[in-house]
Amino acid sequence: MRIEHLRELREKGLITEHQYNTIEPIATRKVLSVFYELRILLYLGVMLFTTGVGILIYQNIGDMGHILAVIGLFILTGACFWYAFRYAPGYSNGKTKAPTPYFDYVVLLGSLLFISALTYLQIQYELFDDGLGATTLVTAAFFFYAAYRFDHLGVLSLAITALASFWGISVSPQKWYSSDFFSEGELYNIALVFGAVLATVAVVLDRRGVKRHFTFTYMNFSALIFLTAALTGVFVNPDYFALYLLLLYAGCGVIVYSAHRRKSFLFLLYAFVYAYIGTTYMLIDLIQNVILWLFYLFASCGAFIFFIVQYKNYFKRAE
Amino acid sequence: MKSAYNATWLHNLSIVKEVKQWRDYEMLSQEQFLVISSEYPSSFYHPNVIIRILLFLATLIALAGVTGLGALVVFNTRSNEEYAFGVSLVYGIVSFIFLDRVFIYNAKHYKSGVTEALLYHALGYTLVGIAGMTEWEPLLMASAFFVVFSIAAFRYIDLISTACAFASLAFLLFYVLYDAGGYMQQIIPMAVIALFTPLYFAVKKIKAYAAANPWRPCLTLLEALSLLLIYAAGNYFVVRELSLELMDLVIEEGQDIPFAYVFYSLTVAIPVGYLYFGIKRKDLVLIRVSLLAIAFSVVTFKYYFSLGHPEISLTAAGAVLLTVSLLLFRYLKSPKYGYTRENVLREKWSDMNIESFVIAQSLGGNTGTVQETGGGGDFAGGGSTDSF
Repeated sequence: MRIEHLRELREKGLITEHQYNTIEPIATRKVLSVFYELRILLYLGVMLFTTGVGILIYQNIGDMGHILAVIGLFILTGACFWYAFRYAPGYSNGKTKAPTPYFDYVVLLGSLLFISALTYLQIQYELFDDGLGATTLVTAAFFFYAAYRFDHLGVLSLAITALASFWGISVSPQKWYSSDFFSEGELYNIALVFGAVLATVAVVLDRRGVKRHFTFTYMNFSALIFLTAALTGVFVNPDYFALYLLLLYAGCGVIVYSAHRRKSFLFLLYAFVYAYIGTTYMLIDLIQNVILWLFYLFASCGAFIFFIVQYKNYFKRAE
Repeated sequence: MKSAYNATWLHNLSIVKEVKQWRDYEMLSQEQFLVISSEYPSSFYHPNVIIRILLFLATLIALAGVTGLGALVVFNTRSNEEYAFGVSLVYGIVSFIFLDRVFIYNAKHYKSGVTEALLYHALGYTLVGIAGMTEWEPLLMASAFFVVFSIAAFRYIDLISTACAFASLAFLLFYVLYDAGGYMQQIIPMAVIALFTPLYFAVKKIKAYAAANPWRPCLTLLEALSLLLIYAAGNYFVVRELSLELMDLVIEEGQDIPFAYVFYSLTVAIPVGYLYFGIKRKDLVLIRVSLLAIAFSVVTFKYYFSLGHPEISLTAAGAVLLTVSLLLFRYLKSPKYGYTRENVLREKWSDMNIESFVIAQSLGGNTGTVQETGGGGDFAGGGSTDSF
């Protein structure tokens, strides 16, 4: 905002003198916030450091230097959680305010180092007999605890990812591109159940008023996992093709309904895109003519645009 | 000189958007916000970002259908290339008129997703037509691209067109000197610096005018791109690799590229200079670009003088970054020299929800599945960040 526009607002009496004085230093850049710059630096630091440490742990196991590094790792992990427990506000079902601006990053650093530490123990002492399955479950449980205790959305995302990967579901975009998402066996059936259960848990927690601001993250994961699984079913299982298509539509229906209630447009986007892909796939066998296909593309999307623009108030954020 | 949009509405919309941020930060009340938005009305159809993405995708698919149907009507087996390029050009221009008159003028769309899709569609067909007619002659093509992209960037206040216009200009300069050969190729880095430094200052000057207000985002992008290009032109890695790749430079053992020390020092001096002036002038564009440039300079030196322990470099770099940022956080506990660590105004995409998703995708992203890694313990690489 330019200073002359701010003055205009004041002269028209639309903002008070006090408000003008608060906003003026920001508009003229007498005060400049480096909030995001610092957070990005911290985030990069956490990422580089934990990646580097992770690789160091795998190398030269048994060396003297290596043992020192491992001891350092455990001390650092401990220090992060000591800090977190020491300064964290008490648990509350609502949102808690972080005691320092970098508190979240300390928790994140500790959580990521925890993975390295646990993996080291597993390799060296075979803590859990059946290998990685149990490690993943322990990681997930620990992350869920940390996410709720320290009110950390990032760690919650890591927890959900870990829990999903315990069931063999890998939640990452890279896997979607390379199309081996859910490809092993009938993993998409597990993923369907996982997505549905996760969504149910999220709704129950939301109703009970437990950490309402976590609901979005839960819903985001469950919607993506459920819809992708249903779509995979449509693609790879010709026998029960119609069943998976129905599941896809049902999922989209539920999502559109709840998206409208919560005024969350991201979910609307998911629902429309997945439903459109599913429908188009169904029509592949029905439409054999190029002209009809081109007409279908034009008519379906044209009608969609018309619908969105016509009912624009329905798709508006609450002011 | 005007954009395609109603200037008053643009102005009003920008004010209301800003005031909305203040309201979100509880600097003013909801009632005040409502009064201000009725005081500054705009009739644009300008939906939220998700609806824009949806409309963008839908428009692209619908346009593919229309284009296909049109192509079936216009072309037959006897159509030749020249005819096709002519048709493409005409189709592109018709699309521009359609965008301008039907959607922007009549339906009052402003960056609605439909407008962006139609704009890139129109640009694509116009430019393919032009490129075909110049018979892919690089010089003519780049000049034409520059002109068309600049007009689109100006008229539709579009960021991607702005970036493309900038890239065409940079390519044009590079190509002219490269094509001239001889010592002209040697001075490319200096020529880039000599041309884009004045451009940077000109853009900063233009931004100060009130009349340039609607184009502020485009101008900021130009500022950042100019700074990045100036840095790249002086960067040792870029100069060396491009010389080897394009100018058949041969470097023997113990030798270095011509003026190597100039480029070594520029690789260090430019980012440091950016950071210094950025902090001194409180210029966020300079500060952000300088951080990127510093990172790239570190990589440049590591690339040529590596000790062969990337994992130690990673750990050390992470530790340094963590320490520096934690120290800065402590230092800025109370605002110093007008800098604050507090978030005084929210920016786009600053939602915690989005941040958490980024964390999951970049850190928990390549999670090994139980089946894949069931065998043993040896899965080095980026393994550490996996949450098995």
